[in-house]
Formats: sequence, structure tokens, C-alpha cells
Amino acid sequence: MREIQLTVNGRRRRLAVADDELLLDVLRREFGVTSAREGCGVGACGACTVLAGGKSVSSCLTRAARYDEAEITTADGLPDGDEVVEEFVAARAMQCGYCIPGFVLMAHELLEENPRPTDDDVTEHLEGNICRCGTYGEIRTAIKAAAARREAREGRKSA
Amino acid sequence: MSDGSRSSGGAAVGERWARTDGRAKVRGEFRYAAEEPVRPCLDVAVHRSTRPHAKIVSVDTSRALAAEGVVAVVTGADLFALLGDRLMTGPAFSDQPCLAVGKVRYVGEPVAAVLAHSVAQARYAAEEIQVEYDELDPVHDVDEAITGSAFVHDELRPSAVFGDLKHLRGKRDTNVNYEFNLRRGDPDAAQGTTVSAEFWAPPTHHVPIELPYAAAWPEGDRVELLATTQTPSYVRQSLADLLDLPLNRVRVRTAPLGGSFGAKMYDRLEPLVAALAWTQRKPVRITATREEAFLLTTRHGAAVSGSMTADEHGAITAATADVRYDTGAYADVGPRITAKSGMVATGPYKVDNVRVRSRCVYTNKPSAGPFRGFGVPQVTWSHESLVDELARERGEDPAEFRRRNLLREGDIAPVGTPMHSADFVGCLDAVTEAIGWSEPLPPAEGRFVRGRGVAVGIKAVLTPTISNATVQLNQDGSATVLISTVDMGQGSDTIMAQIAAEVLCLGEGQVRVIGADTDVTPYDTITAGSRSTYHTGNAVRLAAESMRDKLTALAAKHFDVEATDLKITGDGLVSAQSQATVSIPDLLLAHFGARGTTLTAEANFSTSWQPYDHETGQSPQVTEHWFAGAAAVQLTVDTATGRVHIEHLAVAGDVGRAINPAMVEQQLSGAAIMGIGHALFDQLVFDEGQIVNGTLLDYQLPSIKDMPDKLTPIVIESPHRTGPFGAKGVGETAIIPLAPAIANAVRDATGVRLTELPLTPERVLTAIIEQEQS
Repeated sequence: MREIQLTVNGRRRRLAVADDELLLDVLRREFGVTSAREGCGVGACGACTVLAGGKSVSSCLTRAARYDEAEITTADGLPDGDEVVEEFVAARAMQCGYCIPGFVLMAHELLEENPRPTDDDVTEHLEGNICRCGTYGEIRTAIKAAAARREAREGRKSA
Repeated sequence: MSDGSRSSGGAAVGERWARTDGRAKVRGEFRYAAEEPVRPCLDVAVHRSTRPHAKIVSVDTSRALAAEGVVAVVTGADLFALLGDRLMTGPAFSDQPCLAVGKVRYVGEPVAAVLAHSVAQARYAAEEIQVEYDELDPVHDVDEAITGSAFVHDELRPSAVFGDLKHLRGKRDTNVNYEFNLRRGDPDAAQGTTVSAEFWAPPTHHVPIELPYAAAWPEGDRVELLATTQTPSYVRQSLADLLDLPLNRVRVRTAPLGGSFGAKMYDRLEPLVAALAWTQRKPVRITATREEAFLLTTRHGAAVSGSMTADEHGAITAATADVRYDTGAYADVGPRITAKSGMVATGPYKVDNVRVRSRCVYTNKPSAGPFRGFGVPQVTWSHESLVDELARERGEDPAEFRRRNLLREGDIAPVGTPMHSADFVGCLDAVTEAIGWSEPLPPAEGRFVRGRGVAVGIKAVLTPTISNATVQLNQDGSATVLISTVDMGQGSDTIMAQIAAEVLCLGEGQVRVIGADTDVTPYDTITAGSRSTYHTGNAVRLAAESMRDKLTALAAKHFDVEATDLKITGDGLVSAQSQATVSIPDLLLAHFGARGTTLTAEANFSTSWQPYDHETGQSPQVTEHWFAGAAAVQLTVDTATGRVHIEHLAVAGDVGRAINPAMVEQQLSGAAIMGIGHALFDQLVFDEGQIVNGTLLDYQLPSIKDMPDKLTPIVIESPHRTGPFGAKGVGETAIIPLAPAIANAVRDATGVRLTELPLTPERVLTAIIEQEQS
């Protein structure tokens, strides 16, 4: 066991974790996170995606102990009115919905790195996430729309 | 049956209503079954067979029992001692124990279960169980299973439920558990141009991203269960049979599923947790790991030997198919798949001379069961490749050749049933037009070659089946629909809300569908086979119409007029004579004298059929309705690597009437993307009966990178005379013709005819090289 500090969606807590405990299990058990889920246990489907310091992490693969002092964002912790969430809803980018939070966070990471992604940029960035219902077209539409909204907002801010 | 196309003037059907749960799904706040609170449960882990076919000599559980946190270890023999033959479950054959008894039949079969205080403790202890085996000859290959002398089961055990399987009871020395035959005319006498080939579609897996989960606990003299299942009504009956309990002492709850595609139906984890909870008197739960999920069910691998003959006028005069479905160690619903796909194995064509032999064959592999398409994509792989080759052999355009021969309204299908609301021609024309079929192909560059292909699919809806619905109208004018249909992403909760709202003139958000709970929601055969919109939709429509009649009667009393004077509108009940209007809230308040009251109405919708003849497969009414779909594709093939790149894929489905066009389009495109996987790379690989790619590191699924440059879903509407507002289902329609459409385009581009799926780069390249050399 070791004591670590995690900040999850703005809530900071110190807690004891076993050396081999997975970040996914700690987030779900200790922080009540619902949006990160195990789909494959080997980091191949993206359903367990969370952001640590803004970077995507497969939380089903990684030990919580490695994330001492990290700032974690999960989809259920995004603020109301989040542009990516709103555009996913508007584009009907969900069917069964199980994998979608992972795509939402991948979209956040992409738009931070690359505010004006091309279709190819979106494809490259989302390649590691699986939507078995096949909602990829709607997801792409949502991300492009979110990028446009962000750009408009940034434009207003700088004007 | 009343006239389903009668509209009451609502504004719900045909609208693109949003999913009621969309935002919660996007934010990840939506709760799936494993996230529903249940009482503290012991965790279950399973010890699995390491042999494909062996007698169990002994099971040593002592080390597992001594392991930390272990409460109990239960073997198949323990359960058999308590439950006897009732331990054997299954939808068509009662052949599968939840823990092996006496014999194991595939690598990975559950042999013993550990109940412990944590998942880690249970899994550790499960590894400590020692099993001694006496190995038997395994049966790996579907054709060797038919001719060989090793048998997976000593005798056939058809379930008592199905009268038509009775003649198979006790049959010994065979691995063929069911055979369907279709005979019409004399295909051997047909003259003209004939093509024939051997086809293979490999086993695949559904891989819904939500893992299978089940929890069960004794509740006094009842057993309760919460599970990821598409078939709560079936599971209740199955568990009642297993535990010898009346139906009112078994409760099955489910939650919306994180995908399923056929994986989470019939008997999966449910008999195991129910048997453990009941016999050990403990609350238990299990979530399958991804590796275990691969073992719970698969899609049938299928071999098809097919032929097709056309006369000198280009009319298809004869077609044959010899189909062998590899159903693995347990029949599950394989015998039904064998029949349902056998009856359409020669395709959507008007053919007078037909011979189909479709067999369901046991092998020592994990059991194969239903998968989006129910066995039909495997036979479509054969008939749509053959019809394409036949057109080319005759020097004809493959689309035009199909068009001439396709079944039309009123034509008799080879199975003997007339066609209605199955617009194959409309689907074919729509997809070919979408991809510019008649325009010249853009020139190819360098090592790339370009081609176009098309395919058409046919499937009969599962018949007979039963749906029930209860509509509860609340005094405030909102409504609740009680059905046992499970929303697994297809959007049934929204579709059913739209149907009820249309009849009762309610608005978006005013109707909610509650989750299936057999204590509360009425019987529904299954949520599968694209049957819900038509069947449950009709039950919901009828229940809503009954509710409308009740409201009309109340309003007639209220206004002291004849019921015929009243009409339901968005504002409430209106008298034609006086134009007086009463809203639903005011009407119910006046009637009951209290707020918060409810008015209920219910309905049943059942379909019937005429069983097919056992010798000829013929039936004048084999199905309630047909699914018709088509796919057309333009693609390039890299002749240096064999890699296929899809430029444009168009898919069309005749849905009768789209209740929600946005959701219909999602079903069409989602099935198409799944079909791309089946066409190009998706397959379960076995070695000596063992799955070698049963993890998501090894098993390839379509990602965003596999999307065509352009994907066009097309909704065709030829209303069904008894569909709710003319509607039929759509979940499977687009996957059925997908793989042959792609293979036909590869043939067009390269000249190579591939008969084995998937069309991996290696396979395509090898075929190109062999063609160059010959």
C-alpha cells in the first residue's frame, strides 16, 4: 500500500492504494467515476480512457500508484455545457453509448493539441478507440463541429 | 389484426426524435447492469477446461477451498446431484450444463466455480483447482464431424419446448443435430450456364464493448437476477425450469445494454449464477473478462457448396446450396439458424428449381449462437458471389442480371411463401445509383486497381413470436410504456415512445419506456432478429389505441356526447360537434377526482405461421414478413499488398416505414461497418479447438480507420400492410449483403474470385499472384 494524492475532476484527495491497483478501479471505487469502463483489460478498446494532465491514458492498464499528484479528468466530470459533449449530443454520436465517453475525452485531447483537425487528423487520433455500434461518422461530425465552436469562441475572446 | 397504417394524426412517427438517454450516454453517467446497485455479492470465478474433448476423471477442489477468502467451490457434479437433468439448458436443445458434468466438450468450458469475497480471491482459487482428464478424440472440422466416428454428444437432447425437434430425441452416433431441406422443382434437369463453388465464412465474435454480467440472489422463496440479457422473458422460463420453480418465484431484471448483437441472449451466465445462488443460498455475481466473453458464444463458421444456373434468356432457373454450420459443442439456437437461413440460401431470386440442404453440426469448440443476421450472411456470401459470377459468365452487368431475376411483390419465394413489402429492386437501384454504377470508373493509378460490386440480401423475420405491452397514462398527461424489449443501442426505447406518442398525440419526452423486469413488464419472446419494431411496436400501438378508446369513452361521458363525436389531438379530446376540448390531465382529474392517478391499457401481438414441410421445406406462410437490403461499393485494391480500400459504400434497407429515420440510418450504417470487418479481417482463429486470438490485442475490429471514404445509408419504404404505421425492423438488413458486395467489387477490380472470408491482404495478394501465374 502507498499513499497518493489524486485530483479527479477538481476534487483533490489523499488515499491509500495497493501497489498493483489499477487506476480504473481506484477511480470507480474511490471517486464514484462511472464514465471510464473496462472493455478489454488490455488497453485496446479505449472504453477506460481518462485524461491525466490532459493526456489520454488507458486506465485499465495502468497502476494508480504511478499517478501520484496527477490531475485526472473523466467524461462524467466535464462541466455542464462542455462543447464536445454538446456537439456529440447534437450529432447523435451515441448508440449503446458504452464507448462514447472515451471518444469524448480523446476529442478533448485532440482539440487541445490541434484546434483545427482535418478528417485525417481525427482518424489518426481516434484509431485506438472502438465503437462496436459503428458511430464513427457521427463522432467525426461532432468533433469537427466542436472544433468550429471552440474556434468561434476563441475568436470572440481575442477580438 | 387491425389496420396498422391508420394514423391518428399524431406528429411522432417519421420524426427524428433524440434518444431519451443521449446526454447521459455521452457524459458517461448512464448506468449499465453492472453499475446498478445490488446487495453485497460474493464474486464468482470459473475454472475452465484445458482439453477440447475429455472425460472428467476427478476434480480436486481442496487447495481452492483452503485459499484466502473462498466461501465455496462448486463442481458440475455437485450441481447435477441437486438438479439432475434440469441442469441441461438451451433454447433448442437441452444439452448445455452451466458447469461440465462428466465430460468437457471445448477448451474453456466451465468445470467448477469458486465463490469468494473478492474477484481476485475467486480467480486465484479457480486456478488452484486440479482436474484430471481422460482424453477423447476431438472433433475440430465441421465436415470431418459429419463423416467421422468421434461424437461430441452421446445422444441428441432436443428441448421439450419444440415439438418439431421431437423426432431427434435419443438419436445416437451423429454430430448433425438438425437438418433443414428445401426442395422445389428439379435443379438437376436445368439447362444453361451453371456456376458452382465452395464457400467458407469463418466463425467471428460479436464483441459488444460492455462485458457480460450477471448477479443472482435468493430472496426468501424466490430467486432474483440482474443480468446483461436481450431475452429476459426467455431467461425467466429457463431459470424456472432449471430450479423447478413457478414463474412467479423467478425475477429477471436487465438494464439497457452496452451493445450485444446476439451475444447476450438465451443461456449465458444466467444459469450459472442462478444455480449457485439457489443451491448455496448466497448472493453471487460474475463479470466475464474479455477473454471469457469470447468463450460464451460465437458466430457460426459455415461451409457452403453452391451452384446457380441461368437459361439462354438470362433467367435463373436453378440454384442449390449445401450448408454446414459449425455450432460448436452446444446447439444453442443453431438448429433454428440452420432452418431460417436454409430457407433463403438461394437468395432473393425467383427460381423454380431449388435444392438446399442445411445442417447444424457439433464440434469441440465454444458454442456458436445468434449473431446479427442469424446465419443468413453466411449463405448470402454464397448466393451473391454465385449470381455475380453467373452474370459475368454470361457477359451481363451484375446489377442488371440481378434486377431481372429479383423477387417482386406477390412472387412466390423458393420456400413457398409470397413476397410482400420487400423491395429488393428499389434497394438495388438505390445503392447502385448512389455509387454511380452506370458512370465509367475513374481511371486507376499505379499499382492500384479499381472496381465496383453489388449484392442483395433477404431474410425472413422470426415467426411465430409474441409481444405484449402495457401503456400507463399518468394523470399529468405523461405516459409510461411497460415492455420487455431491451434497448441495447438500437434505440427501441425511443421508437416505442414514438409509436405510443403517435397514437395518443403526445409530444417528444412525454412517453418513457421502463427497463425490462419480469416482475413488472409483460412477456416478449426476445429482443433479437430485428423483430421489435414490428412486433413489440404493434403491441405498443394496440395498447395505445386501447388507451385512446378509454380516453374517448371518458370524454364522451364528460361532454355527454357519443364517442364517435370525439377526436384525440395534441390539446386533448375534442368534440366535433361543440368544439369543446378537455385536456388529458383535466379529463383524468375529473374522472378519478385525484392527481397522480394512472389509467392502464394493454395489448398482445402474436404472429402465426404454417410450419414448413419436413421433406420439402415448403410453407405458404413461413414468415410474418421479409427483410430486403442491398449494398454497393466502389473500392481500390493495392496489387502490391492486396489491401482493399473502400471509397464509397452505399447500403439500403426496406424498412416498410421509418419510425425514426435518424435511427434507421444509424442501424444501416452501423451494420455496414460491422460487415466491413466480416468482409476484410474479422475472424476467430482456432488451433486444435483453442481460440488463439481471443483478446482485443489479437482480434481485429473495425475502427474509424476502416471507415469508407464515403458511407451512404438509404432508407427504402414500402409499407407493410400490418406493420405499425407500415414499419418493419432494420437491425440486420445491411450486414447481410455486405461481404459479397465487397468481394464482388474486388472481383471487378482484379478479376479474382475469392470464396473464403475474410478478404485479408494476404489472401487477396495470393489470389492475384496465382491468377498472374496461370
